[in-house]
Amino acid sequence: MLPEFNLLMPQTLPEALDMLAAGVPDAVPLAGGTNLLVDMRGGSRRPSVLVNVAGLDELCGIRQEDGHLVVGGGVTVAELLDDPLIARHAPVLRGAAAVFANPLVRNRATVGGNLVDALPAADMVPPLLVLNAEVELVSKDGTRRVPLEEFIVGARKTLLQPQELLVAVRWPVSPPHSAGAFRKVGLRKAACMAKVDVAVMVEGDEGGCCRQARIALGAVAPRHFRVHAAEDLLRDQPLTAEGIAEAARLAAEAACPRSGSEYKRQVVEALVRRLLTGVADDIWK
Amino acid sequence: MQPRIVTLNINGRRYQVALDPNVTLLHALRDLGYTDVKNGCEKGDCGACAVLLNGKAVNSCLVLAWQADGAEIVTNAGLGTMDNPHPLQEAFADTGAVQCGYCTPGMIIAAKALLDRNPHPTEDEIREAISGNLCRCTGYGQIIEAVQMAAKTMDNETMNNEQLGGGR
Amino acid sequence: MKYKAKLLPPVELPELRTVGKPLRRVDALGKAVGATVYAGDFTMPNMLHAKVLRSTVPSARIKRLDVSKARALPGVVCILTAEDLPDAKLVTDIPGQTGQKIRAGSEAQVLASDRVRFVGEPIALVAAETLDIAGRALESIEVEYEVLPGVFDPREALKPGAPIVNEPDNVVARWKIRKGDVEAGFTAADLIVENTFRVPFIDHAYIEPEAGVAWVDERDVINIRVCTQVVEHFRSIARAMGVPHNKIHIQGTMLGGGFGGKEDITVEIFLALLARHTRRPVRLAYTREESIQAHCKRHPFIITHRTGVKKNGRVTAAEIKMISNSGAYPYLSPYVLLYATIMAAGPYRVDNLYVDSVSVATNNPFTSAFRGFGGAQAAVAYEQQMDEIAKALNLDPLEVRRVNYLKTGDRNATGQVIKSAVWLEETATRALEALGEKVVSPGSIKVGQGFASYMQSYGRITWLHDTSRAWVSLELDGSVVIRCGVPDLGAGQVNSLCQIAAEVLGVGLEDMTIYSTDSALTPLAGTTTATRQLYMSGNAVLQAAGRVREVLLDRASKYFEEAPEDLDIADGVVFVKEAASRRGGEPSSLNRSIADSLPLAELAAMCAAEGLPLSNLALFRAPFTAKLDPEDLQGDVFPDFTFGAHAVEVAVDTETGEITLLKSVACHDVGRAINPAAVVGQIQGGGTQGLGYALTEEVVVKDGVIQTPSFAEYLIPTSRDFPTTEAIILESGTGVGPFGAKGIGEPSLTPAAPAVANAVADAIGVRIHELPLTPKRVLAAVGRARGIGD
Repeated sequence: MLPEFNLLMPQTLPEALDMLAAGVPDAVPLAGGTNLLVDMRGGSRRPSVLVNVAGLDELCGIRQEDGHLVVGGGVTVAELLDDPLIARHAPVLRGAAAVFANPLVRNRATVGGNLVDALPAADMVPPLLVLNAEVELVSKDGTRRVPLEEFIVGARKTLLQPQELLVAVRWPVSPPHSAGAFRKVGLRKAACMAKVDVAVMVEGDEGGCCRQARIALGAVAPRHFRVHAAEDLLRDQPLTAEGIAEAARLAAEAACPRSGSEYKRQVVEALVRRLLTGVADDIWK
Repeated sequence: MQPRIVTLNINGRRYQVALDPNVTLLHALRDLGYTDVKNGCEKGDCGACAVLLNGKAVNSCLVLAWQADGAEIVTNAGLGTMDNPHPLQEAFADTGAVQCGYCTPGMIIAAKALLDRNPHPTEDEIREAISGNLCRCTGYGQIIEAVQMAAKTMDNETMNNEQLGGGR
Repeated sequence: MKYKAKLLPPVELPELRTVGKPLRRVDALGKAVGATVYAGDFTMPNMLHAKVLRSTVPSARIKRLDVSKARALPGVVCILTAEDLPDAKLVTDIPGQTGQKIRAGSEAQVLASDRVRFVGEPIALVAAETLDIAGRALESIEVEYEVLPGVFDPREALKPGAPIVNEPDNVVARWKIRKGDVEAGFTAADLIVENTFRVPFIDHAYIEPEAGVAWVDERDVINIRVCTQVVEHFRSIARAMGVPHNKIHIQGTMLGGGFGGKEDITVEIFLALLARHTRRPVRLAYTREESIQAHCKRHPFIITHRTGVKKNGRVTAAEIKMISNSGAYPYLSPYVLLYATIMAAGPYRVDNLYVDSVSVATNNPFTSAFRGFGGAQAAVAYEQQMDEIAKALNLDPLEVRRVNYLKTGDRNATGQVIKSAVWLEETATRALEALGEKVVSPGSIKVGQGFASYMQSYGRITWLHDTSRAWVSLELDGSVVIRCGVPDLGAGQVNSLCQIAAEVLGVGLEDMTIYSTDSALTPLAGTTTATRQLYMSGNAVLQAAGRVREVLLDRASKYFEEAPEDLDIADGVVFVKEAASRRGGEPSSLNRSIADSLPLAELAAMCAAEGLPLSNLALFRAPFTAKLDPEDLQGDVFPDFTFGAHAVEVAVDTETGEITLLKSVACHDVGRAINPAAVVGQIQGGGTQGLGYALTEEVVVKDGVIQTPSFAEYLIPTSRDFPTTEAIILESGTGVGPFGAKGIGEPSLTPAAPAVANAVADAIGVRIHELPLTPKRVLAAVGRARGIGD
């Protein structure tokens, strides 16, 4: 049972932005509703006005432009999973889409919704962090772009202003000799919240050298984060087993400072090591 | 909160209903008599409420009825009847995939969505497609058999239609 | 280790026409096309919507309860509190039946008046014009609690000075077995092995939440259309409401799953009260969160085994202690404890056996029936203990069991002689043979195999004098009607009865119509619990159909001038057997000769014209025995037992703690499979529930508050979690059910969890003593194993 609210049904993006501008702080956008409607039914969120942005043309579509991949904020996780551009250029993101919630939820949940809700276990975030993504935020007053790493500031906290919509997320197309991977560990084999999310990306050169590595963790802390200490270690170095092991150790340390959960620490260490090793194989073997 | 008239095309029938904004598609469907769409959790965890919304299998508990205005909705009851069951419904009945039957309508919808885009799924693909539909009775084995059986039947039907169809 | 299936003794099972065939169940198509009307799918004109206000604290006095604001809301028609219903009490325990003491919690108020003892305890009922209004009414009810100290750990609850949940003390039940001389047995042992195992709260997680509709009709009868495992609750409801029994009418629906969770009264009493007070139809449907909070859970147990063994594995003595967590009210705790106590030592010959068990009250969710009913918890312990014994003696796990397995004619823990086939080795070896050789495991992935044998009773405790009734009738056109009160949980209870009657009367399953689950209109068949329905109602139908058949063949014998034994019925035709076989087969429209065959419809017309009864109401009685002496619990307790085994292969990722089930095989002797597809469904479904018990499920309760309130936190197996369990069905024909059937409903679950626990221990070399086997626990155990190895 949902509480009472007013539901506005804009037909275009400018209409939606006008409604948000007029309605804040009581008005919030509704897309797939897979988090919002659940929260409203549970009583943890009670917006009095919802602005339906599901299906707005301007929020749809996945395209390549200016050396970047651009995914509309209203693109569903299922669309992401089926898209050939994503399959070709961002398997790390596709890997997360494949284990996101369940197939029915994927048909409604949007990339934008996952990012603005910023739940600690949001699966879309780690891959987009290692893809160096930025989000495009639009309001009646204009557009701005914010790197995803800055956009999420804490559990369920982002830089999104109440009258803004996340209209797209974009990232540079990966150069040759690069590969990424994602892994999620939960308490069951499907349809569950992550206990640990790990995404890695390595950009290398022909000679076996890692130019840039990016490692992102989710679910282990209130806020998703990149493990810069590990990334610094691997930058401009041949990617060796020792280097990978040390990077994994640093990631585990970052995930669980001494007082944290031993279990999560061990899992992060193992997953980062395995993913980096696998990605190295993908690039150079 | 003001209701508005919403058009729902359900199983080929057109309804125009006055609905409040906070009514989910699940409740709208059930109140219109489509009680084959079940309420198991109302938060997208169990799949008992699954319907096809413009061809995509979704949890109707997470769709507001207003968001489905003008959409084509198919529930399990729209796929077949006692007199003329859909091959999926027949197969489910025959393999033992139906025990208590409560997950069955949502499960069949998920299977239908799978077969619509992938007429020859592997066992793995079937397991993946129904991973959002919880079953507490069967352990899923006979359900998977039923989907495989239906895929074969529908394949034969398509072949027969093509053979008969010719220039039609 | 390569296992070979033990040869089966020769069994002559008569070839049957309908029984034994995997026919499409009579309820299957209706459910498949979405036509079946479940309890929550029914509506009536003028219907009200109900909600229940529940306690948010686990132990408190209600200082103030103010419903005035709620009552004043437009659209609120009725609010009931304990004040309005001072005499509404429901029995949660039946001391006379269990031999346990009368206590304050045995009879609980339907709505709490003074004390609340668990989070979720009902305090008030609301009926309103819409669900929305009912929800808002709930929010406007004001409750002030005076929090009282609560107790949450059963061991704490046993200590002197612990808060008392229900007077006079926290001991809800105790049982003990005293058999032989354990001291002598331990002295004779070469080795003593001791282990303690723990299992958690589990939720039934049926996909259909509790729901129903009630209305008062023109006869002042309160009709309740509800999903329930027990229509006989009409008596308790009548008593709670102060009306005669014949004024409560329960129309049971096809359940969307039960598993023991709909065995106690759930929504029925609230519906009846609101319907009577408002004089309008009322609907109540629990949300998932409410269902998890409001209905019973599986008992957590702490079980300690101390076993003396000889070098060859033979058990010389066993001392077992069990503590179960009864939660806030007794319900079926004494019974569950009894089952666990009787099955504590497992399917083994233990001549010197002491068992001491206690069920303890706490301010937790109350616990009651769940598939296995104490037998499942016992198996988690005894089968892991057997593997630990094997490890300590450096013996093969099957060998240790072989030297101890019960055999037909042996006495079990209570001294009851087991008369039916005891195919323990036969089922274990088949499961292990099908499991095959262990796959090779790379690096950090460790593969292990494990199995569990078990015994699980079917049929209720015989000192309860169980009965069931069924009515079978042949219509004048040759179609058949069954009336039987049996509730169908989804396992095919009503279909089995149809196949049995069809077999006896020589008609097809398509000629059967069954009316079931009605406390007024169908003969009462007892509860669908305790794996009793096939045995009890199946036999009742067998008897009733058998008597109708006798009448028919008696009349036909005069018609054909042949003895009744020389006649048979098949495909709706009565025929002379010899003549048919002379012609080479059974009568068909091609084969029929007017002289030696007769359509059933014509025979029925003949009988009707002569006033011969074409219907029969049969009463089937289980053996009636005397209650056992609680000082030693020696004597007959159950009609019979089912035996079998489950074997699994697992891959444990020793770096992430994740467990992947690679293979699962189960082999059970079901006596006779009435519908083999349904039996496979039970083996696979019950098995999967058991796999979930081992790996993914736990109702986490912290200080009385459930931390896993929905299906997002309480994780039951999805289609991706486990491979399909290969089901190997054996049929000894020695069960006491119809056609030699045993029961499979609960047995299918019992061995699965211990099989997984044994496989994981085999994989990582160290045992985890509690369920579920979470990745966290696995990693901690792997760490311990490394420490041991250093």
